[in-house]
Amino acid sequence: MLIKNGRIHDGRGKIYNSDIRIKDGKIEKIATDLKPLKNEETVDAKGLEVFPGFIQTLSHWGINGSATEIRPSSSDNDELSDPITPQLDVKYAFNGRAASAQQLGAFGLTTIGVTPTDNNLFGGTMAVFEVDGLNPFEMCINPQVGMMASVRNNLKLAYGKRNVAPQTKMWIFEQFATQLKKAAEYKPEKDKERDVKMEALQKVLKKKLPLFLSVDTKQDALHALEILKPYKIKLVLCNGYELDEKCDWIIDKKIPLVVRSNSMTMDDTSMRLDLKGIAALSEKGLKVALSGVDGSWQIREDVLWLGINMMRILKDEKKVLPMMTYNPAEILSVDKQTGSIEEGKRADIVLWNNNPLESYKAEIITTYMGGKSIYRKGDELKCM
Amino acid sequence: MYVIKNGTVYTMKDDKAIKADILVNDKGKIEKIARNISAKNAEVIDAAGKVVLPGFVDAHSHIGGVFMEDEDLNEMTNPVTPEMDSYYGINPTDKQFKIAVKNGITTSCLIPGSGNVIGGWGIVLKSNEGSIDERLLKHPVCLKAATGINPKGVYSKANRLPMSRMGIAFLMRDYLRRVEEYMDKKKKAKNDPKKMPLYDLGLEHGIPVLEKKIPLKVHTYMHDMVTVVEIAKEFDINVTIDHAQGASDYYDVLKDKHVKGVIFGPISAGLFPGEGGKIDFECCKGLDDRGIRVSVMTDGPVTPENLLICEVGEAVRKGMDPIRALRMITINAAEILMVDDRIGSLEEKKDADILIFDALPSEDVRANLLLTMINGKVVYKKDEI
Repeated sequence: MLIKNGRIHDGRGKIYNSDIRIKDGKIEKIATDLKPLKNEETVDAKGLEVFPGFIQTLSHWGINGSATEIRPSSSDNDELSDPITPQLDVKYAFNGRAASAQQLGAFGLTTIGVTPTDNNLFGGTMAVFEVDGLNPFEMCINPQVGMMASVRNNLKLAYGKRNVAPQTKMWIFEQFATQLKKAAEYKPEKDKERDVKMEALQKVLKKKLPLFLSVDTKQDALHALEILKPYKIKLVLCNGYELDEKCDWIIDKKIPLVVRSNSMTMDDTSMRLDLKGIAALSEKGLKVALSGVDGSWQIREDVLWLGINMMRILKDEKKVLPMMTYNPAEILSVDKQTGSIEEGKRADIVLWNNNPLESYKAEIITTYMGGKSIYRKGDELKCM
Repeated sequence: MYVIKNGTVYTMKDDKAIKADILVNDKGKIEKIARNISAKNAEVIDAAGKVVLPGFVDAHSHIGGVFMEDEDLNEMTNPVTPEMDSYYGINPTDKQFKIAVKNGITTSCLIPGSGNVIGGWGIVLKSNEGSIDERLLKHPVCLKAATGINPKGVYSKANRLPMSRMGIAFLMRDYLRRVEEYMDKKKKAKNDPKKMPLYDLGLEHGIPVLEKKIPLKVHTYMHDMVTVVEIAKEFDINVTIDHAQGASDYYDVLKDKHVKGVIFGPISAGLFPGEGGKIDFECCKGLDDRGIRVSVMTDGPVTPENLLICEVGEAVRKGMDPIRALRMITINAAEILMVDDRIGSLEEKKDADILIFDALPSEDVRANLLLTMINGKVVYKKDEI
């Protein structure tokens, strides 16, 4: 397939006019004046804005159940039997049909990071999926991209309320330190049962998996960094609702930040989300990914709306679009496959009739996921 | 006294933009809108190249009264609590009002939550500083009611009526019937204390609904809106359809004269089966095209105040004209709340609740709010102006 004459926003800060040849679901060639081959489908993208598909770094699409009227807890994102479950893998819970039903392509998303919730200290490993399909393993782009951890208040609400630990941040940080230490010292012994939790955590300590750590406050982040000091790990901070422009240490340590939106959270902490501060940090070199809210209530507009709110501050698409595309791809270790419009990458491409980071009049004409059209303007949005 | 000079003014009286100055008097009202106003003693705000709009009105919110762990607007101990009054559930110093001001929301309709079939009275409150009484625009503005999964979910846990939509409709109709009878008894008593029915605050709160002085404001999704309109016709009361996901399935039903407005949103959600199965932002244009008064809401703090304009923007994405879309959170909202004599448009004698943006916020996603004025006082200002 050939996309002719579009205005390409590559997702890494470049904007230019060119043609794109797609072959076998990948971007084969980007050049001006590409001539259609015999039997090649040609899309006239003159006047259209060609964007990479947006990536929601942290989501529960496909595992957030159906929140039905019949059974209130039909979700698979929460193993609330134990706050320490690093041995679990989200890839086994992902329901392709449930994710597809949300028609995320109609909202400009082509790729999702899927994670357990922030309700466990160590929730398990996360994975990256396509947004449309049936077979979860065929939809999976990267089956194990990180270990989800959380020192947020969520733990207290999920467990403390049931009168089991943790009821306090004291427990949360004590166990955060203890579990890491145990994992660092763990050696499988011959006649002893293997400790699957420690084995899972060792992947983090051996830098095989980055640790995605969800924090509420600035102090949460500082406590966690102090505890993590003895270990050489790859760390990604998530949420950080209190982080402001003075938090230079996050830049010095080269830690990326995944910003979760505060739509539908209704809690005091998330109201402290300081996008202006985060924008200022990003100007100083912080790598930022804009993502969606935690919890079963997922929001399809989150990434775009956070991008829009960032545009109000930075007013520069070249800075904001990478936060919705290339940075998430890097953070999720799928930047070789997607996250920008470049030769050799998946054809995760969205044609807009207008620039969505400039005008609300922007509508999607077509969303291609791996070269396959998954949404076209005029398609009726699905209902359940 | 202020004079806002040379702005592009969208009064919302009609769909046009005019170049005009606005004179704001010391009583906090709009004194005059005209070209080349010069007034001694008036402080000049230069709005050249800027967009001037009426303050935004959030027609459905709970800020100041609800947080996840701290509820003051949902008395979920009884499914029918008409005697409740949001007036007593709001903390006027809540910082959310400051966030509202920064996002151009100068007035909110604050109402009980949706845990109960009948939740209590709502009020209209401005976002400026001060006590509730100083900021109150209308009390009561509505009697809040709810259908569907919310009340059902709350009382199912307690094995109490209502555990089904049958139970909800019954409780709603039963309450309205009791108010009718109460009114009838009062009327027949002709002020004779011996014949008067026993005073009942809950039934008293329903009288202005039956008298059509205030609407029943009903949390309604999907097919429940048909039920609500049926009940409105049965008792000849006014209703507003709040949330209204799925409204595009029922345009003809919503044209009914008992429906005073549809307040759509907040849409920020994925799909889920049942009443969350359809999210039809296109209904904003659809309703507007059919002459049905439509608004959008934050449901604050369910969605934060900065997303109100994003919701307006999504209606624009679905084909609504950006000016018509702005009406949803200005004049339409004011009319639905019946406070359009005071707010909702920029007109002489109305309250000086005025916003200045650097671009049209329903079209340009980058538009920044530069100044918020409430009752003629500047309550928020960016450096650039």
